[in-house]
Amino acid sequence: MSARGRPRLRLRHVRPSTQQQHRLLNHFVSRVPEPTEEQQQQQPQPPPPPTPPFRFTLAVKDNISTTTSPAAAAAAHPTTCASPFLTTYHAPFEATIVTQLRARGARLVGKTNLDEFGMGSHSTHSALGAVAQEPQDPSNNDEKNILQVSAGGSSGGSAVAVATGEADVALGTDTGGSVRLPAAYCGVVGYKPSYGMLSRFGVVPYANSLDTVGLLAPGVGRIGELVFEDGGLWAEHDPRDPTSLSVAARRRCAQGRVGYATAASAAGAAAGGWEGRAVGEGLLRGLRLGIPLEYNIEELDPRIRDAWAQAAKKLQEEFGARVVPVSLPSTRHALAAYYVIAPAEASSNLAKYDGVRYGVRDTEAASDAAGGVLYAASRGKGFGDEVKRRILLGSYTLSSEAMDNYFIKAQRVRRLVRRDFNRVFALDNPLHERETFDLTDLDESIAMEDKWGPEEVDFLLCPTAPTLAPRLEDVMNQTPVDAYMNDVFTVPASLAGLPAISIPMPVASGIAGEVAGGSGTAGLQLIGQYWDDARLLAVADAVSKTLLGTIPAR
Amino acid sequence: MKRFSPAELSRYLLTGQLSRRGCLHARLPRIPGRAPFRPTQARTFSAQVDTATSLPPNSTVVPLRKQLKDQAKALKATGKKKKKNADNQTVPGWELTVGIEIHAQLNTARKLFSPAATSFNDRPNSHVALFDVAMPGSQPLFQPETLIPAVRAALALNCAIQPVSRFDRKHYFHWDQPSGYQITQYYHPFARDGRIALHARDGIASEDGDGVEIGIKQVQMEQDTAKTTAQPGEVHWLDFNRVGLPLVEIITLPQIRHPATAAAFVRKVQMLLNSVDACVSGMEAGGLRADVNVSVRRTEDVASGPLGTRTEIKNLSSFKAVEDAIIAERDRQIAVLEAGGVVEGETRGWSLGSTETRRLRGKEGEVDYRYMPDPDLGPVVIGEDLVGHLASSMGVLPDAEIDELVGTYGLSSKDALSLMLLDDGARVQYFYNVLEALEERLGLAREAEYDQRHALLAANWCLHELGKLTDLASDLGMTPDGECQVPSADLAAILSHLHRSEITAKVAKDLLWSVFRGEITAGGVTQTIDAANLWFKELSEQEYAELADQVVEGEDKVMGEFLRFKRGKAKAYPQGKLMFLVGKMMRAGPEQQMDPASAERVLRARIESVYLPALEAS
Repeated sequence: MSARGRPRLRLRHVRPSTQQQHRLLNHFVSRVPEPTEEQQQQQPQPPPPPTPPFRFTLAVKDNISTTTSPAAAAAAHPTTCASPFLTTYHAPFEATIVTQLRARGARLVGKTNLDEFGMGSHSTHSALGAVAQEPQDPSNNDEKNILQVSAGGSSGGSAVAVATGEADVALGTDTGGSVRLPAAYCGVVGYKPSYGMLSRFGVVPYANSLDTVGLLAPGVGRIGELVFEDGGLWAEHDPRDPTSLSVAARRRCAQGRVGYATAASAAGAAAGGWEGRAVGEGLLRGLRLGIPLEYNIEELDPRIRDAWAQAAKKLQEEFGARVVPVSLPSTRHALAAYYVIAPAEASSNLAKYDGVRYGVRDTEAASDAAGGVLYAASRGKGFGDEVKRRILLGSYTLSSEAMDNYFIKAQRVRRLVRRDFNRVFALDNPLHERETFDLTDLDESIAMEDKWGPEEVDFLLCPTAPTLAPRLEDVMNQTPVDAYMNDVFTVPASLAGLPAISIPMPVASGIAGEVAGGSGTAGLQLIGQYWDDARLLAVADAVSKTLLGTIPAR
Repeated sequence: MKRFSPAELSRYLLTGQLSRRGCLHARLPRIPGRAPFRPTQARTFSAQVDTATSLPPNSTVVPLRKQLKDQAKALKATGKKKKKNADNQTVPGWELTVGIEIHAQLNTARKLFSPAATSFNDRPNSHVALFDVAMPGSQPLFQPETLIPAVRAALALNCAIQPVSRFDRKHYFHWDQPSGYQITQYYHPFARDGRIALHARDGIASEDGDGVEIGIKQVQMEQDTAKTTAQPGEVHWLDFNRVGLPLVEIITLPQIRHPATAAAFVRKVQMLLNSVDACVSGMEAGGLRADVNVSVRRTEDVASGPLGTRTEIKNLSSFKAVEDAIIAERDRQIAVLEAGGVVEGETRGWSLGSTETRRLRGKEGEVDYRYMPDPDLGPVVIGEDLVGHLASSMGVLPDAEIDELVGTYGLSSKDALSLMLLDDGARVQYFYNVLEALEERLGLAREAEYDQRHALLAANWCLHELGKLTDLASDLGMTPDGECQVPSADLAAILSHLHRSEITAKVAKDLLWSVFRGEITAGGVTQTIDAANLWFKELSEQEYAELADQVVEGEDKVMGEFLRFKRGKAKAYPQGKLMFLVGKMMRAGPEQQMDPASAERVLRARIESVYLPALEAS
């Protein structure tokens, strides 16, 4: 291994924002300059395909492939995944999700920084340096004294781009919480859809069975419009992504679900818009919200615990929601299972980066004959420490001697986690047969509704992360396992493929020196049953407005 | 024989490069390195075949001629002569166990996980999809039509098709594999529990008797790797047209006991795959490759003990290599054990023409493939209806066809087998075409009491006479539907005249040559016979008798032999002498007007009635 520490490859195609305070955030890998009027008039003679009218600006996490249109060749942006291996990689094709959003009026403003290949919880493991979020007190703008605060990861750059207002919507990827966690730290909304709803084609995979494309925005509304308004993303099958649900499966899953535009209702809904159609007034009345007891862990920051309790109380007392304690007994094993499965898939996915086609080939060790180290040397130099750590972890758990004890066991845990969710949700999971559940491992404090078991719920209500956004300085001193702890509340929904969303919730102002998220909020997470995304977004919108009074200021 | 262009020849002579096309390619697929031209130095050829699944070849290359020389020397030194394989099937006191893995390229239009076209000799890197070269963010798309040849292959091998099968990733690094893993079926293959019956006519070892059944553990689908072409000076060219092509891997149970039977098994698998049109090309063209697992144990351990430690010999590219490599590896293992040593589980290689396998890598160098279910690929569900349809539309399998050729047409089983194997199965189709045209010309009805004579005649000519026309089967230009340079109708015309004794066999053979060379236009056989007056107008009895008289003149000593037989002094009739005289008659007379049978009949009669009485009288 090289004597160097974490590779810090400075690759800046465009200096970050003209705003001075943004200079330190390091949230963009490359930017697309705004088209000037002159450029727009000088369109080349063969007219490009008609672009839809501009509706919103879009930042894209740099592990999602984008191509550069010939007109903007001067601002070509690579797809680096924040890895030294891909600093010069220009994708020859565009990810389906980017194309879909362009068709809906998105204008790409840039590619955002991340943890290398999406592996990390603070966007610090980047070849381009760590991402920081906006300091809480912009008046104290002395560079030396600014408290640099974690933006969360791995979609930290995307969350910051939304928080600073540089993008109306940002794309992230959520494998074990990588959209929800930065959303929680940065005080924005982060939505992870049901697995198989949004196309992954063109998304550089970290762990395929967990990866989802997620959306970040200042409020829930914009996300709801994009996914569920007429011509919404939810209905589009991508034939190039084998894990994208077929149109028939989408229809079947949507049966009996609220908020999905059907042929019959489409015409009537056209006038109302997403919010009006989906649910409207009184949505929260009678809604059953589950509080998972296993999520009240020792490591939970007391301010977050209080805010969580306050939120639940407010929803129950003032808006008529029913708050029910529920038990998810497999939660304690979920994090361990995630950190077996995700690195295993990662070690496989990253095998292609060997210096032969990508990155720099170490020519000193030119032989790959028995005992040769052609690939070993190139891979040793081309990956950052966190990625190497996960590749080694994954290679070990897949090795013939460890397979049964780690990978297979983790897959069993994954099933148990999914079963836990199926047991507490009132709706059935359309991907699985209904099963009967053993109630013996339930927490004793759970009351039985009838002889069949405890009361079932519509959504789970829990924090997104156990702590507020930490200082970057503290993050750097954490052990890897400390960092993994941040994912404890987000990983279960990822393992089960369920939709989840993180919305800002107010926290009591911090003790001196401690930092809440950039906006003085923490993340409140709502988890729904599979393909209950439409209702999840509608409820999240209502809860969000309830908790913050109005749509978040920014 | 194919003619080579001067440019091609000079490339061969000066730089040791061989044409990538044609027969030479099939035999010597890879010529590594460049050797300076010196008249006294032998070319250096490695017999290493383009490898699909093995790790890179051993880099030391021994010139083939030197290798053969050394071998001969070594044999001389030990005072032993190389045994013939047929006499070397068993070693007393030891039992051999062999299991085989066969990789065959499926006959499909698309790759296994991308819609890119499959191709054989197209411009390199012209059929490559994003996924084939593992572009970040690209995903596999299973092509369901690859199931058709795969299921057909498995049905031909009598396998149970699994309703649900899955794809796994097998990880190892090599430049010919862009993603760093091969997608294969490991935990859940699509077919299991097959078997193949091998008969004596398939060329199994005589120790296996009339027949033996070999069990097939499983058949799985997997991706091929890119094709590597070695260039002078440590340079390798990669052709990604081949990456991702669909293969089936056929894995047997360790049930083969004799080397010849192993070779027969591989040959039979090739024939079966061909007959159901599942496979692109045969072993000699590189479309089929075999790995063999070999172990030995003492016969006294057979009842109680487990199998011995096995070694794997990778990438055998001919039937002979399969048999030779097994014999060599068996003998090596026995020698190791008899010397008190231990056989190590390892991977070994084999070069054409050698007498020993060589070590490629041992257990410690073994790759842990870290098999993992591919998270992008769902299970493959194969419906009963598909299996049923494919099973019912498979046609006649080779064994049934051979039985028909032997039973109905009277071919020897050896000839029947050859007919089936030649030209990838097109020769037998040609035979059917000729036979049909012949029967039409002769006015024979199939339903009638079947006289095998004309069918046998047609078979002999389709096999042997056609084979004499050229050394290279490809020169015949045989098409899959059974037509070639010699149109089946013309051969049938020749044979109908021959069958009716309207022309002699010699004339028939000359006509065949003329048709082959294009000197007779299609359909012009009878005209040519007319024009050149080649009709068989047999000599009269009288003319035969005159010839006989002429030939016997001065052969008193030979006549003496006949006399001795007549007087009872010799036990057997001197048939040889008689045929010698018939031969003389044929040479003396106008051959195209003579039938050897008539000549023999007349001569024999005259010996009895004329010459012997004369001899006795004198």
